[in-house]
Amino acid sequence: MPRGLWTTTVGSFPKPPRLEKARHQHARGELKADALEAMEREETVEVIRRQERIGLDIVVDGELYRGDMTTYFAERMPGFAISNPVRSYGNRYYRKPIAVGPIRRKKALTVDWWKFAQAQTSKPVKGMLTGPYTMMDWAFNEHYPSREAMAMDLAEAINEEALALQEAGAKYIQIDEPAVSVRPEELPLAVKALARAAQGLKAKTITHICYGDFDVIYPALLDLPVDQIDLEMANSGYDLLERFRKHPFTKEIGYGVLDVHSHRIETKEEIKEGLRRGLEVLRPEQIYVDPDCGLKTRTVDEAFAKLEVMVEAVREIRAEKGIDV
Amino acid sequence: MKIETTLAGSYPKLPTEPGDVNLRVTKNRRDQGKATDQDVLEAVRETTRRILKIQERAGVDIPVDGSAAWDDAQTYVARGIGGFQIEGLIRYLDTNTYYRQPAIVGRIQWERPVTVEDWKLAQSMSERPVKAFLPGPYSLHHFSRDRHYKSPAEALADLGQALAQEAQALEEAGARWIHFEEPWLGKAKSQDAALVKAALEPVLEGRKARVVIHVPFGAPTAVWDSLGELPWSVIGLDLREAPEGWDLIPRVPKGRAVALGLIEARNTRLEDAAEVAREVARARALRSDLEFQLSTTASLEYLPADKAEAKVARLAEAARIASRNGG
Repeated sequence: MPRGLWTTTVGSFPKPPRLEKARHQHARGELKADALEAMEREETVEVIRRQERIGLDIVVDGELYRGDMTTYFAERMPGFAISNPVRSYGNRYYRKPIAVGPIRRKKALTVDWWKFAQAQTSKPVKGMLTGPYTMMDWAFNEHYPSREAMAMDLAEAINEEALALQEAGAKYIQIDEPAVSVRPEELPLAVKALARAAQGLKAKTITHICYGDFDVIYPALLDLPVDQIDLEMANSGYDLLERFRKHPFTKEIGYGVLDVHSHRIETKEEIKEGLRRGLEVLRPEQIYVDPDCGLKTRTVDEAFAKLEVMVEAVREIRAEKGIDV
Repeated sequence: MKIETTLAGSYPKLPTEPGDVNLRVTKNRRDQGKATDQDVLEAVRETTRRILKIQERAGVDIPVDGSAAWDDAQTYVARGIGGFQIEGLIRYLDTNTYYRQPAIVGRIQWERPVTVEDWKLAQSMSERPVKAFLPGPYSLHHFSRDRHYKSPAEALADLGQALAQEAQALEEAGARWIHFEEPWLGKAKSQDAALVKAALEPVLEGRKARVVIHVPFGAPTAVWDSLGELPWSVIGLDLREAPEGWDLIPRVPKGRAVALGLIEARNTRLEDAAEVAREVARARALRSDLEFQLSTTASLEYLPADKAEAKVARLAEAARIASRNGG
């Protein structure tokens, strides 16, 4: 019997309202860092419990202690300053990293949180990092003479963190590169930087990229030097599958079946149909089923309701197609 | 010859001085039921006044209102045009910013002025000619999901007409400058030339105002021949992200102007004013017959407010040096 269709998520989970409130209080100096961290730990345990209860095969820590996916890392790395708020949309703002000197990793960035999360569960917990190309592309640069120079310094720093996660016991290490898909002409740089970031890793390596101009970047995308590429499939109506018919997808795939931008909870049938379509062009052992992207923009209830339907749909497709875990 | 200065697009909404009206805070308070829609409108007004004052203080010749009421560069206008509905958030090109995607679900029709009252308000706050800002039809179509039209050409013809009517309403209100933001022209291929023409012809024909077609993030090299045949007044080039735009300057039709996008809107590093002035001189050496403006490469809203303000000051300083040096 073939094995496959393992279930997981892309990384981030929504912060519960009490944690959001505590983060604001902390930012205003009304709550001490220790108290905030204690709450982050409590909520991280809860997120892991809920992933276990739903039956996900590979879990994450939920990144409840992180704000923006680049700023979290930049705040902890010499060479970066953090800007005043920049608007991302409407009334949403974030503080953007500014490269002001050579970027280095001087201390662990995520390892302690990974160890804490792994201690809560017998299921494998993914190590979650932001990739060097995305860190470079989503930061201002006042120091480096070129985008490549900045990306390669970041790659070295992220590689140190990835090796530390592996040393701590991580079996899955995800190095997200959502920015890769929007500048096709820089794909070779993204490949080079990710190769450096993943150098020496024996753990299974994954990268998540967002939807972009696949007419230009596929199949060159398969050059990304990781075991698994995680893609938004549902958001684009699974139209990537047509490309996979022409040029077979040769790596493992993180197969997104939940639209993370929509409040609507997908039906089991539509997810099953998406999986059936995927199985026409992909082997079960290639497929890891997950949402299209991080769930942090959904409410807590929406996020878990979506995941419950996803896991049920996968169970039924496994039974239908005779696929083992 | 004096080099005039202008900004491309919107401007950060947040104040840099404590005590100034903070639109972000007012909106948050409104969402919590602690402020009213009227309070938000008042904050938009005060934010616009502050954005104009920053430009005035620096000496910007053709200021913008900063689009204080806009959530993103597409939906404020698309919401006001018949045939569109607004959908989920997606990333805006290769920036780490987002917009709600307009979907075309029926025939595109202009129904009423969308930006005219905002422009009038801004103009009433400034002695200088405030440049009206609109999404370009070619790019707005690219940013949208089209569920109605059978072909892009049909959609672009209607979209061009709708935006032409908005431009006309702005002209009738007194706007002397109208800026169309067209990032997708920098990504267009030569086979797109007919579509580019179909989109832009209606918004450019018969305009009394001076119309700027601004192309951030790329250079419209592939469709330049078609673009050159159209009656725009100013082409805005992003010479930082797309230095190949320099090669277009010798090919600009006589009697037009070029907005030299030399102040980088996507990086906090401050340009050297003397160096920028030398680049203006380089443009003048390429075409001594053309009028040149000095501009930001794109909307300054990609920067935090403090850095944007520093860039505006640097823009004006560079233009002063360039003007002193004979343009």
